[in-house]
Amino acid sequence: MRLKTLNVRSALTARFARWTASRVRPKEKVTLDRRMIYILPTRHGLMFVFAASLVFMAAINYAVSLAFGLAFLMVSIFILSILYSFNNLNQLKLRGLSSPAVFCGDYAVFKIELSCFSGRNREALELSFRESHATYVDIIKNDHEPVEVFIKTGERGDFKAPLLKITTYFPLGLCRAWSVVDLDLHCLVYPMPVTFPMADFTGGSANKEESSFVVTGTEDYYGLRDYVLGDSLRQVAWKNVARGQGMQVKQFVDYVDSQVWLDWDMFYGFNVEEKLSRICFCAVKLAEGGRPYGLKLPELEIAPGVGPEHRAKILRTLALFVKS
Amino acid sequence: MDLNYQIPRSAMIWILLSVAIVLLPQSVRMPAWISIVAVACIVWRILIFTGKLNYPSGWIRVLVVLFTLVLSISQMRSIGIGLDSAAALLALGFVFKLIEMKQKRDIYVVISLCFVMTMVAFLYSQSILATAYSLLSVAVILGAMIALNRSINVTDNWGTSIFAGKILLQAMPLAIVLFYVFPRIAPLWTVPIQNSGASTGVSDEMSPGDISSLGRSGDLAFRVQFETADAPAHESLYWRGLVLTDFDGQTWRRENRRSAFSFASARADQQLQWGGRMSKIGAPVDYNIILEPTQRPWVYGLHLAEATAGDLFQSRNFELFNNGLVTQRLSYDLRSYLQSDTDLVLLDRVRLQALELPSNGNSQSREFARQLRSSVSSDRDYVMAVLSHFSQNEYFYTLNPALLGDNRIDDFLFDTREGFCEHYSSTFAYLMRAAGIPTRVVIGYQGAELNPFENYMMVYQYNAHAWNEVWLEGEGWVRFDPTGAVSPDRVKLGVDAALRDDPAFLQDSLFSPSRLGGMNWINSIRLRMDALEYEWNRKVVNYDEDVQIELFEKIFGQVTEQKILFLLFGLASAVVLGVACLIIRFEPRSKRGSVVSLYIKMSRDLEKIGLGRIKGEGPITYRDRVIAARPDLRDIMMQVTCLYVEISYQYRQVKEPDILSQARRIKPYGRKLKKALVKSPSSLFNFFSL
Repeated sequence: MRLKTLNVRSALTARFARWTASRVRPKEKVTLDRRMIYILPTRHGLMFVFAASLVFMAAINYAVSLAFGLAFLMVSIFILSILYSFNNLNQLKLRGLSSPAVFCGDYAVFKIELSCFSGRNREALELSFRESHATYVDIIKNDHEPVEVFIKTGERGDFKAPLLKITTYFPLGLCRAWSVVDLDLHCLVYPMPVTFPMADFTGGSANKEESSFVVTGTEDYYGLRDYVLGDSLRQVAWKNVARGQGMQVKQFVDYVDSQVWLDWDMFYGFNVEEKLSRICFCAVKLAEGGRPYGLKLPELEIAPGVGPEHRAKILRTLALFVKS
Repeated sequence: MDLNYQIPRSAMIWILLSVAIVLLPQSVRMPAWISIVAVACIVWRILIFTGKLNYPSGWIRVLVVLFTLVLSISQMRSIGIGLDSAAALLALGFVFKLIEMKQKRDIYVVISLCFVMTMVAFLYSQSILATAYSLLSVAVILGAMIALNRSINVTDNWGTSIFAGKILLQAMPLAIVLFYVFPRIAPLWTVPIQNSGASTGVSDEMSPGDISSLGRSGDLAFRVQFETADAPAHESLYWRGLVLTDFDGQTWRRENRRSAFSFASARADQQLQWGGRMSKIGAPVDYNIILEPTQRPWVYGLHLAEATAGDLFQSRNFELFNNGLVTQRLSYDLRSYLQSDTDLVLLDRVRLQALELPSNGNSQSREFARQLRSSVSSDRDYVMAVLSHFSQNEYFYTLNPALLGDNRIDDFLFDTREGFCEHYSSTFAYLMRAAGIPTRVVIGYQGAELNPFENYMMVYQYNAHAWNEVWLEGEGWVRFDPTGAVSPDRVKLGVDAALRDDPAFLQDSLFSPSRLGGMNWINSIRLRMDALEYEWNRKVVNYDEDVQIELFEKIFGQVTEQKILFLLFGLASAVVLGVACLIIRFEPRSKRGSVVSLYIKMSRDLEKIGLGRIKGEGPITYRDRVIAARPDLRDIMMQVTCLYVEISYQYRQVKEPDILSQARRIKPYGRKLKKALVKSPSSLFNFFSL
């Protein structure tokens, strides 16, 4: 029986949620008004009404005039609480601000600016996406207040925030006023970085500080080392030999190979998401170092570069990559 | 269930405060141990709150429940199952809930109980003071609710209290409308309130000292308002309570206790039989009495009073009884025929009863009566002789008479010679009966104080009085007041005039009316306060279904359900709308908007003649284009565009009043434009000029 009522209840709730969702149009700026604000009594409100009816019954039974008065006062307070909670949301302006990109699995942070006409307090507002933790905010001192609402991200790409619910129980907690808006909030979600021994894939030994990019070359003087049989005689430092310091060889290096290409094909044997996650990890790591790195994806190539913009560009490409 | 829920600090203070404030008036009435338990629970709660104690564990809870059960049962055995024990039990459960309050839901249970406790307070008292206190407690409870729903970091207690007061004030209008208009329902089932409040006023028996003890009390007994213009004179204001017929040498009692509570049908039969027992003579006197709670079933009225409204019945001795104890202020309307005769024919049984005396004792008095009776010719003369005996000999009227021995009548009559009204009426009745004249004692109140502010009378406990009714042939029961013979002032001016110099008078009430009567302004304040309380009772406390229907009929004539429903919903929604306008403040419309919308309207008017504003066209370009097409509109366009540009692009620099004046200035241009367009609808020309 209980299960059945629960089912009916959840079905009704779901139906109502669908109906409210169908009434919401994505808009960057929303001013809440009576068409978008829903109010229902809370459980506590029903308890309060029950207490009022108890007082009313006692008033009838004992014929106590002022107990009637008290019961009516309680009813009046209940009606006022509806008006007040409506007022707490009415004419509230919400504006979505840009939100920073996050890695998949992290919480997306959506910034929303709440504002209202100055001189009006809005208290105990609760902002949440469905199934996310609520953020509480008061608009008391200023007439606008930035809020951050968090939601866990599930997959990479352009993440569109679900419907934002803004709820208030203020001032008496007897009824709940809420509104559902779509501020057209978007957040770029990078692939989830997966840690792995990177050097295996980007060439050279594991000791990346030394050998991964210090490769013998011909252009720049690097230092001296002892002569090994087979070294070109043209590289011997004859001046040092003349000074009696023994046979030494000048060493030159090329920096050409210090460019790293994050190549799609390097990650053979992984599926698309796994590949992207690994490339993402490399990109993040490489961005911490100073080496230029480029990206090679099927039908897409980004030339090596450095700097935060380059990093963002790479990660963005990874986030939005669609395998054709 | 939110396990991490923390009751906000300031909310906790508010909740404890509201619990304390609703329990305070109860603590006066409840047994002391409940108050102690309540305080202990509040302290426990504070300790939990500060982290010094934990929530009660399972077995403590079981123990507490058992403890309550045992104590409640013992309590019920001692004071009976009634309002008091129910209120006490409610209070206990309420404070126990307090210590295990964790979730928001628990808090709302406590808050709901706070409201119920406020209602319980009304069962005891509905005075102005009690109402004001209840409103205060509702405000505090509202404060608790607000504090509970505020953000944790908002601890503005002053703001919370202001807000609570505001909500309370805004809730009042609707509550008042509902109070007066909402159809009142008569009790579905009557559960008489039984509280253990000590019964006050005159009791149903009279021993020496009973009435004089009332003389020390300055409490109000009842208030009276006469419907007829001229109220009876002070000396005829005898408020009959009970008729006492049985005397055992010490105490006067009612004849047969059972008859007072006999069944309604039996009462009706008796009343039919007694129809001829009275003759209504003279003009009736209509009056309304608001009786303070007495915890007794009988009520008071003038001679031969019958109820015109209210659930009262008359006993065979023309006493008035309420249906149940008077536990709350009781308002009833009476009609009296002051000159009427009763019981012109006396039944033998009643005659015997009214003559009965203890067979022995007081022989001196018996002898005195026999001698006096034989010296006069008629019963009436005998009565006069006894009264003049009191008035012409040295008898004193005092609240502190000397103690009497076993033969109290003899002692009083011949020895101490000082007494209060009960001594005189008792002795008088004894002397009458001893002479073979049927006589009985009547107890009630005599006199009243007029409140000039509302023109009603107040009768105090010290007005309690005892007098006699003597049955005379051809006259029926006739009232005689032996006290009046001793102290004529008592009857003519009132007890305060007669006893002003008696130290015992009003010794229990320091600030009683008559004590302060000497100070004029205090007396005036007292009378005003009482007038207020009286009005409160008439207009608010006594407002029930009968009064409501009467009021509606007075205003609307015929009352129908539809009319009441219309009235209810009409008034209620009007009030809600009004309050909503107070609460919901709409954003002021942008003043800039009014200028802009006027401009847009004008361009729409121009569109009708083909001169609409093209998308993306600047106002200056647009103006020039319109002027080129319609040179006659030059002035209008120049002015309007100038204002519009100023408003739209230099908005920050323009002050608000200027915007308003500009909006006002732009308006006539719009009208002029319309006129000009109507005059020359040369749309073809304009079309080409495009």
